[in-house]
Amino acid sequence: MTRRIKIDPITRIEGHLRVDVEVDNGRVSDAWVSSTMWRGMEKILQGRDAREAWLFAQRICGVCTTVHAIASVRAVEDALKLQIPANAQYIRNLILIHHALRDHVVHFYQLSALDWVDVLQIPRADPGRASSLAEGFSSWTRNSREEMKAAKDKATRIAESGQLGILTNGYWGHPAMHLRPEANLLLFSHYLQALEFQRKASQAVAVLGGKMPHIQNLTVGGVANAINLDSEAVLGMEGLESIQVLMSEVSNFVHGVYFPDACALAGYYPEWFGSGRGSDRYLAVPDLPRDPQASRYDLPGGYIRDFAADSASRSVRFMDGRFRESITEDVTHAYYRGDKALHPWKGETIPEYTDWHPDQKYTWVKAARYEGQPAEVGPLAQVLIGYMQGHALTRKWTDAALDRVSSIARHKIGIEQLRSTMGRHLARAIRAAVLADLAHEHWQMLVDNISRGDCSTHNSPSFPDGEIEGVGTHEAPRGALSHWVVIEKGKIKNYQAVVPSTWNASPRDKNGVRGPYEAALLGTEIADAEKPLEALRTIHSFDPCMACACHALDPSGKRIGTAGDL
Amino acid sequence: MKRILIAGIGNVLLQDDGFGPCVVRMLEARYRFESNVEVADLGTPGLDLADYLIGQDCVILIDSVKSEQQPGTVLLYRLPEILQRQVELRIGPHAPALTETLLTLDLLGAAPAELLLVGVVGHSYEMGCNLSQSVQMSVDSAIAEILRELARLGVHFESKQYAAEPDLWWTKRPASMGAGATGE
Repeated sequence: MTRRIKIDPITRIEGHLRVDVEVDNGRVSDAWVSSTMWRGMEKILQGRDAREAWLFAQRICGVCTTVHAIASVRAVEDALKLQIPANAQYIRNLILIHHALRDHVVHFYQLSALDWVDVLQIPRADPGRASSLAEGFSSWTRNSREEMKAAKDKATRIAESGQLGILTNGYWGHPAMHLRPEANLLLFSHYLQALEFQRKASQAVAVLGGKMPHIQNLTVGGVANAINLDSEAVLGMEGLESIQVLMSEVSNFVHGVYFPDACALAGYYPEWFGSGRGSDRYLAVPDLPRDPQASRYDLPGGYIRDFAADSASRSVRFMDGRFRESITEDVTHAYYRGDKALHPWKGETIPEYTDWHPDQKYTWVKAARYEGQPAEVGPLAQVLIGYMQGHALTRKWTDAALDRVSSIARHKIGIEQLRSTMGRHLARAIRAAVLADLAHEHWQMLVDNISRGDCSTHNSPSFPDGEIEGVGTHEAPRGALSHWVVIEKGKIKNYQAVVPSTWNASPRDKNGVRGPYEAALLGTEIADAEKPLEALRTIHSFDPCMACACHALDPSGKRIGTAGDL
Repeated sequence: MKRILIAGIGNVLLQDDGFGPCVVRMLEARYRFESNVEVADLGTPGLDLADYLIGQDCVILIDSVKSEQQPGTVLLYRLPEILQRQVELRIGPHAPALTETLLTLDLLGAAPAELLLVGVVGHSYEMGCNLSQSVQMSVDSAIAEILRELARLGVHFESKQYAAEPDLWWTKRPASMGAGATGE
């Protein structure tokens, strides 16, 4: 019997995503991913001063403010061929890194952990044994028996009261949840601690960017921070030192808690390396430029065309010109008018709503394509590409992660197996470990550069009379982000943001080729159609945030897993 | 001294969803507060809202809400109501995150002691940078509710003798760019 299950909404943060899966003999046989709202930034931006675009772009999504702000100024600078001073690169990089670390920690603990951790098993855990388990994974100072006992008491009180609060929607007792009580307790105690460390990352961003959540220090041509080592009023030694303190606390948490936890979770659920593979193609843009020309980057980008092919052809290095020419968006199955796949500079957003129809139009997300094909973006893409290119930090942390996981699972887990639901979680933790190392390096480069007497932070833009085009990219927490701008006499003529979730949550294109979420769901085992936890795990592994793929206006009910016979 | 946060929530690019940010900016332009009161335009922070609520004793949130009532109607909600109505409650576009943030803080024992949500029933949430007329007309009522709550909490504030121009940058029409626009 084939059943169709509708899962709506699926994101735990703003933005709404609907997933329809067809389940045949306990496995997903087909999937459609749709989001309920539409976008149209160019309508707001047309005719505005290009120097102001980033202020508006920052408002596309309240969770990813800095991400859009930076992609936007980069797009205008690219159109102007305007370099920015080294200090501005480092300050922007430090903002990007801390935003990403915060985002990854939030994703693992607040948005995904409860797909795997059964809170109702915690009352059976022995805090002493949970503490020993934790101490075997890491030297983190807050793994004591007392910490574990406090977390256990909290979970026990909640379980006994029946007032589950934030934990109400978990699939407790689901057969696919099989951590032993002590592992559940360990991860739950870190879930509670994570909130403190998230805030420290935001505070580091605020020291550089000003009052959060909307940074104020950007400007086309650099940053607005004034630097003077002897002044307390502007960015000086005191500010740099406070960033260093926060940065160390955040990176200690990433290396001492998040990374070991992700490895442990993966080691306990090794079967999830065999599910949720999805696309064969991966795309990442390089980021964290090391100089004003952005001639060298600390985060690798590239494109993997065919992962199944031999290793020599696996990774194509990121080439700027090729990237510019290779992206299109197809609206065959999206609620927009048009029948041609368009390049973002020529992009249109003319809504044409019909009902949800699996063979015709069924989503507000356009189908982003690279060289005409879908590509997965995000930490997994970035880690695979970095690994294939021999990027030293990516290799170091990937090898460390795979060793840990293999030893817990008691069988070898290799790089190939990262292409999976669990691999996405592990790749995100690997990326976080890499970024935590790079935070220190970029902080040092900033301090060294200032110490050499370079205090410049801004180059003035000058707009020509004719039409110019630019693209600004950023490897955001959810993957490759690009803002595309057409400017005439300093005013915006067209503007399109191709966001990571446009890649991953993309619908089928005119050739019927599924997007990465849809492809990843195929073959997933569903034990209980009323509680499709397995499908949720795979979707959550991508870290969906639909707020900027589409805007959330009218959130529909909290029903998850309405099953119906087909 | 109690720590108080007055925060506008909403997306300024989606017409009436920009009500919260608009109200807090008007409030800042007209009134002066002591250092224990923070006024913030938080946009649409989702679960990140937790960062701003931790450590606050009392919180006043301003947001657009979904309701059957007339657009422009101002509705008030208190913390227990929001927590109780957890599953069904859909106060506004960001309600899922608001409720979940408060429940997460509740789990950690870090929820503010008091919270008032001043909501306005929106009329239109299409892309656009201006409030619709019925909602615009409720800005002053929302400010009055905020001031009433501050008075109830014993918080001191005073009117500015000369109200500043509120910083509603997103509502400005695209400026025509003259010769001065080619450099800064």
